[in-house]
Amino acid sequence: MTTLHTISKGPSSKLLESCLSIARENDALLFIEDGVYYSSELASESSIPKHQLLFTLEEDIIARGLQHSILNKFETINYRKFVELCTFHEKVINWF
Amino acid sequence: MTKPKKMFTFISRQAPYGKDRARLCLDAALAATVFEQKVNYVFSDDGVYQLLKQQNGGSIGSKTLGSALEALDLYGIEDVFVNEASLRQRNLNSEHLLIKTIPVTNIQLANLILKSDYVINL
Amino acid sequence: MIFSIVIYSAPYTTQSASTALHFSKTLIGEGHKIYRLFFYSDGVHNASSLTIAPQDEKSLQAEWDTLIKVNKLDSVVCVSSALKRGVLSNEEAQRQGLTGHSLRDSSEISGLGQFIDAYIHSDRVISFG
Repeated sequence: MTTLHTISKGPSSKLLESCLSIARENDALLFIEDGVYYSSELASESSIPKHQLLFTLEEDIIARGLQHSILNKFETINYRKFVELCTFHEKVINWF
Repeated sequence: MTKPKKMFTFISRQAPYGKDRARLCLDAALAATVFEQKVNYVFSDDGVYQLLKQQNGGSIGSKTLGSALEALDLYGIEDVFVNEASLRQRNLNSEHLLIKTIPVTNIQLANLILKSDYVINL
Repeated sequence: MIFSIVIYSAPYTTQSASTALHFSKTLIGEGHKIYRLFFYSDGVHNASSLTIAPQDEKSLQAEWDTLIKVNKLDSVVCVSSALKRGVLSNEEAQRQGLTGHSLRDSSEISGLGQFIDAYIHSDRVISFG
């Protein structure tokens, strides 16, 4: 039983901290909209436990010119994969 | 034919008055009770500020959210939780709170979410 | 799978309504069902008919309208959110004695019961705000 968490605001929102305080080890995190800035910040990389799967939304990355700044831990995905993640995980919790 | 009861967990994470989120969350939870669903209500992060005593929304032309929270009890929502860590981070304790709440740790909260069929995170 | 989508934000102010639209289109493209779109709070502005987009910008309201009609989706705006923001159906406007109406005919006004009902009848509910 795993949950997909979507995070749609940037690091100043502290949404990641709130999410991680109740997320479980095998949950997946998907960063969208301004949330994609998390995927280029070293500070967020160090705060995320190793076993959580990290995804970031390609369309939002490209729009913001971040394509070359994405940290290794993050897998860049498109909307189709976003939909697939929603079906794969039993629950989806949106943080906005 | 009635469907089996589902468990809804509402997480209210925003302070009152500045935005409408706290009110949206409360209204949605009250609506869930009409469907005779199991409802949990959680105050977390800045949402714990909704619980402060001596609120008076009237001073800014608003309804007082704190008073509206009494509806949780009236509508039969008994499982009202407050995130202990969120209180602590804000120098608050149960004496500051307007309604009776059950303190929970982050781990207990994660388990509650796991048990829930639906999580509304506002 | 059966999805419902809840939209909490107005178009243009934040990106979320646009994300929700893109996500909904992808869902349908991938063969999933949408049980209901529910517009809550500022989200009700997505269903307004009294809008004009600049020529070089997309009209999100028009795109929602097309998506709803082409796929015969159930689309609901929350009554308490809509009335105070001036998003009114013709019937509602008449009932209140107001001269204009502003809700697209692809959506209907209803209560939060429809929000809870969407959760009960969907495999997943995805919120954008």
